[in-house]
Amino acid sequence: MGISLKEVTKEFGTFRAVDNITLDIPTGDFTALLGPSGSGKTTLLRLIAGLEKIDAGTILLNGSDFSAKTVRERKVGFVFQHYALFKHMNIFDNIAFGLKVRPRKQRPSKKEITEKVMELLKLVQLEHTASRYPSQLSGGQRQRIALARALAIEPEVLLLDEPFGALDAKVRQELRHWLREIHQKLNITTLFVTHDQEEALEMADTIVVMNHGRVEQIGPPEEVYQNPANAFVYSFLGRVNELRGAALRGYLGNTIPNGDEVGYIRPHEIGLNRTLKGSSVPAEVSHVTKVGSTVRIDLKRLDLGHIFEAEMSTEKYRELGPVQKGDILYADLNHIVIFNGKNNTTQPVLENKTLRAAYL
Amino acid sequence: MNELVLEVKFVSMKKWLLIGVALGFLGLFIVIPLLAVFSEALKKGIQLYFAAFNDADALSAIKLTLVTAAISVPINTVFGIVAAWAIAKFDFRGKNILITLIDIPFAVSPVIAGLVFVLLFGSQGLFGSFLAALDLKIVFAVPGIVLATIFVTFPFVVRELIPMMQEQGTEEEQAAMTLGANGWQMFFRVTLPNIKWGLLYGVILCIARAMGEFGAVSVVSGHIRGLTNTIPLHVEILYNEYNFQAAFAMASLLTMLALVTLGLKSLVEWKTKKYVNGG
Repeated sequence: MGISLKEVTKEFGTFRAVDNITLDIPTGDFTALLGPSGSGKTTLLRLIAGLEKIDAGTILLNGSDFSAKTVRERKVGFVFQHYALFKHMNIFDNIAFGLKVRPRKQRPSKKEITEKVMELLKLVQLEHTASRYPSQLSGGQRQRIALARALAIEPEVLLLDEPFGALDAKVRQELRHWLREIHQKLNITTLFVTHDQEEALEMADTIVVMNHGRVEQIGPPEEVYQNPANAFVYSFLGRVNELRGAALRGYLGNTIPNGDEVGYIRPHEIGLNRTLKGSSVPAEVSHVTKVGSTVRIDLKRLDLGHIFEAEMSTEKYRELGPVQKGDILYADLNHIVIFNGKNNTTQPVLENKTLRAAYL
Repeated sequence: MNELVLEVKFVSMKKWLLIGVALGFLGLFIVIPLLAVFSEALKKGIQLYFAAFNDADALSAIKLTLVTAAISVPINTVFGIVAAWAIAKFDFRGKNILITLIDIPFAVSPVIAGLVFVLLFGSQGLFGSFLAALDLKIVFAVPGIVLATIFVTFPFVVRELIPMMQEQGTEEEQAAMTLGANGWQMFFRVTLPNIKWGLLYGVILCIARAMGEFGAVSVVSGHIRGLTNTIPLHVEILYNEYNFQAAFAMASLLTMLALVTLGLKSLVEWKTKKYVNGG
């Protein structure tokens, strides 16, 4: 077993940053800790690294209890969001640091250190930067060096704290692929923190969705996206329209509404037509945006007045014909998923995928 | 069009007026007195100038000044780093009180600082009888001078380091720990190199003040010639004895120290800037 957490809790004053988390991450897995800011994901990562002390619970790394061990004893590779490279050392010395600070008996010879560093520089494709200083590298290059430095100590676990958070979109995209490749090559148990759902869905083998210091759902990306365990996960992963109260009338089936229900529907699950079909609802177009291969249409429901967003591919949009502000379209909202809003952690009350409810 | 020209002229006039006032003020209050020190010192020729230092009392004053600085500066450097580290990198109760305490030597008149030591360690003082029983002498002796100097010069290193360490945060240290460095390795390989220029700057200011301190040292020294006289105190004695030439010669030593300090200071400032800008 790679990393195993049992009832881990961490409090900062009266604030419970990590609340009784139990979690197993198998060896060699590439796991994303996904959640909004303040959800405790970074704290959890720092607890595993030993940079914070746990208040309760146990942390096992490859079967041995690490709860009481110091940071240096844990030998985990840690990559910081802002790189944390040693600015007064050149790139070679940065990467060699972890080897040079070893006790004399375990320290490799100078030649071995040089070989190891050059090998790592080759892995991150930055051989030419050995004698440069961190300030002379771009953000993406610095993060690659930070990874090489973390890998130098041959860690059994690699922890990355929002590794691409400080980089621009294009570099981020490149590094995602690159990090996946490195993981495939080295097969180190890797845990990375992100608030970017797209990043988590794209990169991870397993996604751990966190909120308020708790785990909301664990699973492979498809599963978490397709079958969200609760309203929070549904709304956090991907774009959603949130519907409450009167907007849900007609979609609740046989359940008796208590006013706490909340419904979600993803923009791409809303079907738009020029003519009334079945249970569609009429809506007025307020804005049309074309983003790459998709078209987003903001609509205002004529009957209830609330605004929602629909999304479709450019092909579908072409079939529909050009849409302008002020056009009236009929929206099919039958894919709505309804949760009991009082308790966000309950299972969906009703999935309307098969329901053919008549509109009012 | 004409108005614009006039306005430009007016702006440039204002500029030169301001520069002129600033330079005039500097010249009147700083450059002229500095020149006066050297001209008075050299008034009776270069031979007499050097003769002023070839005097047992003068030599012992120079020696004592150097010894005092040599003891107080390293102590303040070590404790300055410790205090700055505690304040910049940890959160604890009473942190603000500690920061305020550090500033006391700046806020309190040096004479009062000296008096405190007399009241504590003098023969009538709190620990007076205790020290007398052990036959230890602090006030009117070298230990008193060193203590007073440490007190007065304590804030220089700390004050310089706190903002620097706060700005740098703790990420590099954390990175060092995750890579397996122990506390000493972390300090000497990561923390110290990051603060070295700021530290040097603080140390330079500390040395300058340690050698030039008059008030606090004057109170605790007792002015015993050849024993407890530092350069500033010796200058005063010579002056009071109407030995102006020798007084100014000694004063020129301190002035040169100040000039060297300023030179070093700007060099370090330039280096720091380069280091910070360079990342």
